[in-house]
Amino acid sequence: MNPRTLLWLVPCLIVWAVLPFVVPRNIADLLVFTGIYTVAGLGIGLLLGHCGIVNLAQATFYGLGAYASAYCTVMMGLPSIVGFLAGAAISMALAYVIGRPILRLTGYFLALGTLALSAIASALFFEWDWLTGGTLGIGGIPKLDLFGFLLDRPSRYYFFVWIVAFACMAVAHNLIDSRTGLMLRAMRDSSTAAAALSIDLQALRTKVFVVCALFGSLAGSLFAHHASFVSTQSFTVDRSISFLLIPVIGGATSIPGIVVGALFVTFLPELLSKLGDIHQILFGLALVAVVVLMPEGLVGAFAKLRTRFARKGGSHG
Amino acid sequence: MSLSSFIAKLAGATALVGLSAFGVQAQTSGEAIKIGAIVSVTGAGAGLGVPERNGLLLAEKDINAKGGIKGRPIKIIVEDDASNPDTALSKANDLIFGQKVQALLGPSLTASTVAVGGVTHANKIPQIAFTGIGPAVERDRKCVAHVLPPQRLNATALLEYAKSIKATKIGVLHDAGYGNVVMAELKPLADKYGVKLVAVEKFEIGATDTTTQAAKVKAAQPEAVFIIATSATPFRNVKQIQITQPVIAAIGSSSYEYVNAMGPAADNIVIPEFVVGEDPLPHQKAFVELYKQAYNSTPKNYEAAAWDAAHIIAAALNKAGADATGEKLCEAMKAPYAGVLANYDFSADDMTGIPITSFVFSKLVGGKYTRTPFRVAQ
Repeated sequence: MNPRTLLWLVPCLIVWAVLPFVVPRNIADLLVFTGIYTVAGLGIGLLLGHCGIVNLAQATFYGLGAYASAYCTVMMGLPSIVGFLAGAAISMALAYVIGRPILRLTGYFLALGTLALSAIASALFFEWDWLTGGTLGIGGIPKLDLFGFLLDRPSRYYFFVWIVAFACMAVAHNLIDSRTGLMLRAMRDSSTAAAALSIDLQALRTKVFVVCALFGSLAGSLFAHHASFVSTQSFTVDRSISFLLIPVIGGATSIPGIVVGALFVTFLPELLSKLGDIHQILFGLALVAVVVLMPEGLVGAFAKLRTRFARKGGSHG
Repeated sequence: MSLSSFIAKLAGATALVGLSAFGVQAQTSGEAIKIGAIVSVTGAGAGLGVPERNGLLLAEKDINAKGGIKGRPIKIIVEDDASNPDTALSKANDLIFGQKVQALLGPSLTASTVAVGGVTHANKIPQIAFTGIGPAVERDRKCVAHVLPPQRLNATALLEYAKSIKATKIGVLHDAGYGNVVMAELKPLADKYGVKLVAVEKFEIGATDTTTQAAKVKAAQPEAVFIIATSATPFRNVKQIQITQPVIAAIGSSSYEYVNAMGPAADNIVIPEFVVGEDPLPHQKAFVELYKQAYNSTPKNYEAAAWDAAHIIAAALNKAGADATGEKLCEAMKAPYAGVLANYDFSADDMTGIPITSFVFSKLVGGKYTRTPFRVAQ
């Protein structure tokens, strides 16, 4: 690691470590949600930024992870890790089975296919009340216990969630930087050319879809142990759209962009809600402004701005 | 008269009317006692949250006008959870740990109530929810009171009315959300009442047409039809296919919003509920008048529930002291309370204690509510 990277990484890590102890509990709570949404958004970012696929089904995998954790711990009395693993296994299996046929579609048709998956899952979460608790949901999900250390408040859970988020970021980074990442970008930029180079497009897309589902499921399990309660209202199509907004706003091709996007969708509604009943309209306007004025997301716009200043600085120097 | 001066005079007149509604103002002084409230002002639950917010703000004025808590005013900080349990959780954390409220009122929806209950229960903060008791976990939360009846009681009220009209063959139309929950309680109770459910038809939440389900109910030739939903659609469809049997609806569709959407179908429907603003019970009259003066509209159940919740916490504060700990407030709350909506007993196992005798049975006639003489005997 070069000294310049260390120069900004060390202060960032210090701020990260100190943050939950200096901010009020509600802000720590929002930072936990930011971590959870970062994990879910990373999957969407991989699909959108590196495969050109709009995935509107992330709430399905998020819900599967959450319900698996809730059912395993509350209904069956199993350890929390079983819930995490069960959710991940079910989500990945479903993503593989559903992904194989629907990932043959492209563009808007594929987006609509994933939207349909989200709508079906949302209806099933409602209807299968013997499994999900339906409208009443499942309550009393235990807080995570790490070797006797109970993660029962946001300032403690924050560290666990963000360590998981960093691990997911590392996985995503390795994937993008690997040979698979190159194939993904080739497929995104020209699928015909990629196919001509004997890249199995469908297998590649399915692989990333399965990784995306894994991230979604992990985020869902993390959410269940934080909220201690899951109900159908947390896994609707609206939630899928919120997850899609994360890479769109932050920047789909950049991993820090996902964190910025997650910060945007968790903190902005909270800040705007102080302005009264029009907060949802204002949030909508902010979204439109970002998408129209910064098509490459907030991180993309920041990078452009930095380049412009660097050029100006260079011409003066 | 210029437009601005007209508006200024109008505002002044409104303020005068508003103040006079509270009679002689008692003086309050000192630091305000902060009470948090979470309601669904936007999103799917807005039909509940908006009236609840009105009820809360009116109660705040009323409590302060009567001298507050031993001379100290109360301040109800109202937050919107946008009908989302995750947002409700963040708002609860903000109110409890950021704004240091002494108690929490709301939320409007069951999912949000259970989510927020996890924080209030763990931190011994008294909470009064605008929902009936929900999943089993809520039974352990002895500091989370409820000002609306449990769904079992709503199901009982429907069956009591069916019994009074000697209907033993019932057809049911219910939605997949609220209706499903009431239905789960109704099924085991039906046998006890000697009622046979001859047709039970479910439809999606937000369905725009339930004619097929209504036709199946009609074909089963019931003696009465229960509609359990938060929608006007099944009511319209029942009239369209000319079901002439008595229709008894659960409280979920009692708001004026749904009644207006029913149009001409809002006729000859009986609803077991609590507040008939057009013909209130003697103990509800003062609240209804106050509400009408403040908002120029007639209150119903959710406004009254929120009003009661604020007054219940005020009573607990008066009893335990303005600076009492959460635990002491919880203990002070665990007592019978005669509210506008119902007679509660928060020492009851369901943290509500509403007796079936608190229900009144209203009848929609030409889109207007009338109160029937029927009440369930002790």
